[in-house]
Amino acid sequence: MTLRAHMTTTEHDHAPPPSAPAPGSDAAGPPRTGGDGIGDHRGGDALAALRAAYAAGRLEAEYDTVRTLLARLPERQLAAAGQLLARLDRSLVRSRHPATPTLAVRITGQSTVGPLVAPLTAQLARHGILLAPVVSPYGSCLHDLLAPRAAAPDAPGLTLCLLDAHTVFEEVPSPWRVADVEAAVRSRLELLGRAVRTHQEGDGGPLVLNTVPLLRDHTHQLVDLRSRAALGAVWREFNTGLLALAQHHPGLVVIDLDPLIAQGIPAYEPRTAVYAKARLGDRLLAAYAREAGHLARARLGKTRKCLVLDLDGTLWGGVLGDDGPDGIEIGSGLRGEAYAEFQRTLKQLSSQGVLLAVSSKNDADNVLRALREHPAMPLREGDFIQINANWRPKHDNLRDIADSANLGLDGFVFVDDSSFERGLVQERLPEVAVVAVDEEPALHTPALLADGWFDVTDLTEEDRERTARYRTEAKRRELREDAPSYQEYLNGLDIEASLSPPTPSELTRVAQLTLRTNQFHLATERLRADDVQRLCARPGHRVLAVRARDRFGDHGLVGVVFLRRDGAVLRIDNYVLSCRVFSRGIESACLTAVLEHARATGARSVLARYLPSPRNAAFAGFYTDHGFASEGAGHADDDACFFRHGLHTLPPPPAHIRLHADFEQEHQP
Amino acid sequence: MNPNANTVSVADAAEFCALVTEELGVALTPQDLDRPLDDFPEWDSVYLLRLVTVVESVTGRRIPVADLIEAATFRQMHEAAVRA
Repeated sequence: MTLRAHMTTTEHDHAPPPSAPAPGSDAAGPPRTGGDGIGDHRGGDALAALRAAYAAGRLEAEYDTVRTLLARLPERQLAAAGQLLARLDRSLVRSRHPATPTLAVRITGQSTVGPLVAPLTAQLARHGILLAPVVSPYGSCLHDLLAPRAAAPDAPGLTLCLLDAHTVFEEVPSPWRVADVEAAVRSRLELLGRAVRTHQEGDGGPLVLNTVPLLRDHTHQLVDLRSRAALGAVWREFNTGLLALAQHHPGLVVIDLDPLIAQGIPAYEPRTAVYAKARLGDRLLAAYAREAGHLARARLGKTRKCLVLDLDGTLWGGVLGDDGPDGIEIGSGLRGEAYAEFQRTLKQLSSQGVLLAVSSKNDADNVLRALREHPAMPLREGDFIQINANWRPKHDNLRDIADSANLGLDGFVFVDDSSFERGLVQERLPEVAVVAVDEEPALHTPALLADGWFDVTDLTEEDRERTARYRTEAKRRELREDAPSYQEYLNGLDIEASLSPPTPSELTRVAQLTLRTNQFHLATERLRADDVQRLCARPGHRVLAVRARDRFGDHGLVGVVFLRRDGAVLRIDNYVLSCRVFSRGIESACLTAVLEHARATGARSVLARYLPSPRNAAFAGFYTDHGFASEGAGHADDDACFFRHGLHTLPPPPAHIRLHADFEQEHQP
Repeated sequence: MNPNANTVSVADAAEFCALVTEELGVALTPQDLDRPLDDFPEWDSVYLLRLVTVVESVTGRRIPVADLIEAATFRQMHEAAVRA
């Protein structure tokens, strides 16, 4: 292969290959035949606006506009935007926009890893996160993993350790045989396994590795095809070993680069590899940064939860109002098959806890008839938590769905084939992620999946039940609307709750609650399952899970209380309750149980901590409402406020809840 | 072609400066062209290769990377890019 041949397929060509979808928010997804004129035009404007603000030194002050501008930017322009954003004065951004979350990320690897900074900066900025990168020198990944504390006394929010073919080949002699590679694979896997264990046991924080692409420049150094096949098998053994590590370490994620390369992204650029020792190509790093961005978002509790879909042109072809339920394209025919395939993808997402809803300009009866009676419709009425078919603007419908489901709009993703509707939602509700699909239904799935909007590190059984739970919630709403008073509604619910330490199998769900809950999360702290496990085992600490059920069904594990004994004081370090169940007295019942427990075990007072966040302000008065006295801040703790209860008069437990409290640790692993 | 800017050529020094400024985020004016690269502490081989990528996408011609690496000023880089 000549150098020239490489160049025609590698990085100087920014445009995506015709077969690959080009992900991006508004301009997301596949190449368009006609092009999205508005999106393209606004995309060009967006980059120009970013550059103008940067050149004028205003970009730090105007950082709150960056996210919206990036959402309009086509994928191919994100690299340029990243170069610029990476040069911003972070402390200035933070002082101007104190609510902007910052994530410290250590970037390390086997090669030069600096080129990841710009694309990662852009990807995190898309999610409203400011990247604080710590870039390790060339080839220091093993050192960083084996001595995490020496590398950074404060564990970073995330460590990205980039592996490449050199990880193996630096141990291979010249000339070489497959057996040499096999030996290098074994010894590298062993070493990496040990390094990961040391890093994780040393509390080095969440860690990300990646699989390593096998390069043609390696396979074709072997002239006999049998050896090439053997090399392929040995190489897969290395990647399988890396992927298997993630099964053993809850804090480790392994990003598989194969699916990214399969989209037509070159694994490397020979000159960058040779001259700069940067052995993963620019576009591959950009795709990796996109994956890492979603991981970072999940890590900060910003996982998207609800997918709102248009109908005509999105879920099926044709116009329901004109063509009637029998005339729309779904299930059979070429395009009908493609729409059905997209619906099956949605059903697959829904089975893992992604809530589906509809916002469509249609007649409601028509829509219900199509969803109930069409013989070949993969998605049915019961797959949606809410169907808003009406003629109101879509942003009003999204707000309505968010209100009913008690979710923040920043947890929403919206899909529509109309650039008008997308543009309006994006403008009115900038916190909603907007995915563009067009008239080619076969490209709907790649457009939706181009971004891992719903990525989580682990899935729990609760997730699989989520749609059913939200639908039960609709029945509760009916009861509430029929009840003469809210108290009578609560009495009629027949709520039963329990408060006790989590079982080992519940640790992931406890961690997930801390990751996903934003509103009733009184001292917001995101924990992983192994963090929770450590807290459970720490002397003086007590983690209590809240479970609840009522006459309509089981809510499952919906809350966590983090307690800590500090001499004669029982501290409530944090208190989390899922938005599904608040305002039913469960939070009060559990708090009263904690106070009773404190008194029964000889505590003189209970000291509760509240840490303001952008989303928990509604519960700033929770502790004072329950008889606690504010002690203000001043406990040498960031912005936290403290509230003390003297345990003289305890608040009465809500009469409509039967609570079983068991503070003992017998469920401990 | 370069998707991000209106630049279609780097023959002109001012256009070259605009390209470096826009694509790499390194503010460069024609007055800086003869300053030693040591005056740009952030400049490194990774930037240089990004510059190669961008210039190649604009000109459609391959840049002799080793010549650029050996350049001591942006002017020398520009000359190598134009020669290509």
